[in-house]
Amino acid sequence: MGIQRDRVRFNVGGKIFETSATTLANAGRNSMFGAMFDENWNLQSSEVDEYFIDRNPACFSVLLDLLRTGELHIPTNIPEKLIYREALYYGLLDHVRASKFGQFDGNRLKLAMSVTGRAPGDGTAIRAGPDGGCCVADGSMVHVYDWMLEEHPPIHLNYQTVNDMGWIDSENIVISACERLGRGDGGMGLFSSSTGDLRYKFQVSHENQVKSFTAGALSFSSDYRIFASCKGRSNEYGIGVWDHVTGQQSDFFYESLGWSLGDADRLQWLHERNCLLVATLFPRKDNCYISLLDFRVKRMVWSWSDIEAPVTVVEKRVRDAIAMEDTSSICVVNEYEDLGFMDLRREGGCVRWSSRSRLMKGKMPDEPCCPKLALHGGQLFSSMNDSISVFCGSDWVLTSRLRRSYGGSICDFSIGGDRLFALHSEENVFDMWETPPPPII
Amino acid sequence: MSTPKRRNFQIEAFKHRVVVDPNYAEKTWKILEHAIDEIYNHNASGLSFEELYRNAYNMVLHKFGEKLYSGLVTTMTSHLKDLSKSIEAAQGVLFLEELNRKWADHNKALQMIRDILMYMDRTFIPSTHKTPVHELGLNLWRDSIIHFGKIQIRLRIILLELVQSERTGEVINRGLMRNIIKMLMDLGSSVYQEDFEKYFLEVSAHFYSAESQQFIECCDCGDYLKKAERRLNEEMERVSHYLDVRSEAKITNVVEKEMIANHMQRLVHMENSGLVNMLVDDKYEDLGRMYSLFRRVPDGLSTIKEVMISHIRETGKQLVTDPERLRDPVDFVQRLLDEKDKHDKIISLAFNNDKTFQNALNSSFEYFINLNPRSPEFISLFVDDKLRKDLKGVSEEDVEIILDKVMMLFRYLQEKDIFEKYYKQHLAKRLLSGKTVSDDAERSLIVKLKTECGYQFTSKLEGMFTDMKTSQDTMQGFYASQVAETGDSPTLAVQVLTTGSWPTQPSAPCNLPAEILGVCEKFRTYYLGTHTGRRLSWQTNMGTADLKATFGKGQKHELNVSTYQMCVLMLFNNADRLSYKEIEQATEIPPSDLKRCLQSLACVKGKNVLRKEPMSKDIGEGDAFFFNDKFASKFYKVKIGTVVAQKESEPEKQETRQRVEEDRKPQIEAAIVRIMKSRRTLDHNNLVSEVTKLLQSRFLANPVIIKKRIESLIEREFLERDSVDRKMYRYLA
Repeated sequence: MGIQRDRVRFNVGGKIFETSATTLANAGRNSMFGAMFDENWNLQSSEVDEYFIDRNPACFSVLLDLLRTGELHIPTNIPEKLIYREALYYGLLDHVRASKFGQFDGNRLKLAMSVTGRAPGDGTAIRAGPDGGCCVADGSMVHVYDWMLEEHPPIHLNYQTVNDMGWIDSENIVISACERLGRGDGGMGLFSSSTGDLRYKFQVSHENQVKSFTAGALSFSSDYRIFASCKGRSNEYGIGVWDHVTGQQSDFFYESLGWSLGDADRLQWLHERNCLLVATLFPRKDNCYISLLDFRVKRMVWSWSDIEAPVTVVEKRVRDAIAMEDTSSICVVNEYEDLGFMDLRREGGCVRWSSRSRLMKGKMPDEPCCPKLALHGGQLFSSMNDSISVFCGSDWVLTSRLRRSYGGSICDFSIGGDRLFALHSEENVFDMWETPPPPII
Repeated sequence: MSTPKRRNFQIEAFKHRVVVDPNYAEKTWKILEHAIDEIYNHNASGLSFEELYRNAYNMVLHKFGEKLYSGLVTTMTSHLKDLSKSIEAAQGVLFLEELNRKWADHNKALQMIRDILMYMDRTFIPSTHKTPVHELGLNLWRDSIIHFGKIQIRLRIILLELVQSERTGEVINRGLMRNIIKMLMDLGSSVYQEDFEKYFLEVSAHFYSAESQQFIECCDCGDYLKKAERRLNEEMERVSHYLDVRSEAKITNVVEKEMIANHMQRLVHMENSGLVNMLVDDKYEDLGRMYSLFRRVPDGLSTIKEVMISHIRETGKQLVTDPERLRDPVDFVQRLLDEKDKHDKIISLAFNNDKTFQNALNSSFEYFINLNPRSPEFISLFVDDKLRKDLKGVSEEDVEIILDKVMMLFRYLQEKDIFEKYYKQHLAKRLLSGKTVSDDAERSLIVKLKTECGYQFTSKLEGMFTDMKTSQDTMQGFYASQVAETGDSPTLAVQVLTTGSWPTQPSAPCNLPAEILGVCEKFRTYYLGTHTGRRLSWQTNMGTADLKATFGKGQKHELNVSTYQMCVLMLFNNADRLSYKEIEQATEIPPSDLKRCLQSLACVKGKNVLRKEPMSKDIGEGDAFFFNDKFASKFYKVKIGTVVAQKESEPEKQETRQRVEEDRKPQIEAAIVRIMKSRRTLDHNNLVSEVTKLLQSRFLANPVIIKKRIESLIEREFLERDSVDRKMYRYLA
């Protein structure tokens, strides 16, 4: 930057600020200050003794402090939203976001905000976006929030019941929904997260005919593929694959007899193994089916089912499953929040349940909630009733538990963009948990 | 009690809509448009960035983003029209300079416009999926300048002309060229490829096609390759100076195809300067150049390789079949080694030690060495020669080098068992005559043979060394026991050879002189006394003797002769004249040996201790021999060699060959049985191929002979034919 003197004087809305060019350089070239002090614009700098900016001085002061220290401290008399607006004006919104919360750590989470929705029914699913936003499925609509928790236009697929959704990137959301008989509605669509516009609708072709279908669980791979469990009306049950850049169907894995894929509760793309985990679980089906599909050879390369497992006294049904590629295993959870593990390297192994003391036993709420699992940065998260447990280390020791007093049990949670979102089954409320920035010293 | 005066309160609709100045958007846009004009006119110093930024922000905020964006497109397009006019107007050399200057201006203006419209770029554009400002500016430049009618064609022609004139040796402004090419790349790789690279490659192909045609007519192969190499380097340098790095593979590909691939055969076979001439003249530099250039094109190296193989095979074939060369086995092998050295050096210096070339060389040698059935014998003779005399005083390392080279030739031999046969004979002679130069060298070679062919191959050779050692001990023991009675009798040195280890043919012993017989008997008694259950038979055809003889004028000499010669000479102690028949009767030496032995006693000049009548080179049955009284020599010790044909004579060769064939039979049978034992059943063709494979390290088995052996084994009920499929054999346990 072609600044002659290091000292810079601003007149912001009538208030004088003095700062240094080095401080302003922290804003980066891609900000208003970066442009302002570029030599293209700064030819007359020697003649000017102050720069006038027609903006709110109080907010400027906060943002100048952010540039000086990298920390954001908003006085109580200034609404947060105002700061965001001003930061957007100066091109400093990314700085604000980065200073708001630190790198995600399941053991240092703090409840940052609770958001009450306006949906008439209960929410069913929540998904964290890559930059800190989230979307909440509520019956037939999906509400989209950006990282400032500003609500964007909601999205829907002909108002059909939403089964699953996911962020492809911060601009694009895919939702899967039930079909409506005979109308070709429902299925799957790709939406703009900021405007709610439908960009593509994905189709299933069976024997060269486009069929309507119900899309279930979703998963994405880094090479632009979308996977979804599909149920058609004749025999197009299985896993569909689409390219999200072109919107075209690229593959379909038909389910084999006696094995359930089209009703899957969870899909998970395993990058290193280059295959897809498909889990169909109780109570959607009477039995649990977990398998790994390799699309290159069109084969199930690993599978497990409890069809022939003996019914033990304490009934242990798998309610959620997640693959952990680092340890080549699958973690499962039952309705008592017992964790179990399976070895992916051995075919047809059994579940090894971990024997930790079950404090939960005997105080099951009236309306039990499906336990859910998530894995993030080597930490394992498991939700049960109204709390989320965090497990760490190679033996998965319980290290933290997140709980909130109202909102009822947690029906879904999701981690992404350095935040954890938990959706409660009552009151339509969701909580946002963040890791605070590191302490000053 | 209602009040009569009812005041009607009416809440009116708030009609007064908040309308900003209806011309607000237009006014604000005018300010921004003016600023953009000023920026393009290099007059931006009067502008206030803050004001412009705020105005652009306000337009987006008040939902006039669309107007702002479309206004930007219109304004920028019109400015680019102006720029394109001034570029078009520039003539000749100035055209590129003007284009470059305007490109720089546009870039700067674009940066400043983007600065003003930063807020729109950040919020309005992503949510409406429009093209960001910077990219928009590049697209407009592309459409209104680079793809605009005459400019597009002129630009392409000028760029190609510049490249052309640089190729013909002129100096061009590379900096300008680099800027223009970079502009094309900035506009997107497809612009660079479609507007420049495509034509560049086309024109280059034409140029090099013509140039290579011209070169090949007037240059020899070496010069041509030099020129091609220079052109290739020039093109790579050009890419590094001002083209996209990704063009390098493409343009080098063009040069390779036009200059090398298209003329490969002609270059290789060029008269007087082609590959064969380079090989013959050891032109390492040219060969290296050919290798590195040909390696770049498909089938290039295989072309070189094929020519090289056929050349080596041809010269090798001449070498091994030239009857002139067959006279001197040592020279024959030395030439093979020289030939190998020569090509090894070429491969290491010019062909980058390429494994495939080494393999080709090896297979060529294998091919022609085996063209001559006497190669195994000659190689063994070469070793014999080296170990007899040549290696005297040579350092251990050099000995190793020579032996390694011999081993290399040995590896090429298909009939290794024949080599073994000869080697055994030659080794036996060396050991028995005590002629070997170095025991270490002998043993070292045996170790090499052992690592190459296994324990079996050398066990007999090693047995020979053991015999030599034990014989020494035995003789010491013998003389220790005979101390008392040595007296005047001749000194005897016996080498006890184990039957089987040595290449001896059991031959009836000749009649030894009585003096010797006595000592021999003593030794026999001693030996059989110490070793029970053994049988000794004398190999009189292999021994030597030192005789003291007195000639006329009292001249005394010590004669070093073979046992046969000794027997003959001893006869002359009692007679001055003996006829051939008399000698034959007295000694009972086999006629062929006797003739040879008499020849060396009577017909070699300077060593003729006997005189023959009539005087002639050959020995006849009617010849008579006299003691040569006039024999004279300046040495006291005279060595009378046996006239041995170093090479085998024709009948001997036949005999050796026959013995080898005979020896192979049990080996082939063993191989058949070993294979059948593990396979149980096998068809004929597979069996033959497996047997061949198993015996490969020793010799190349003849399928006809294998078949005979199979039949013999069937007769002896080792195998049987399958009753259904006659081609199948079954192993009978």
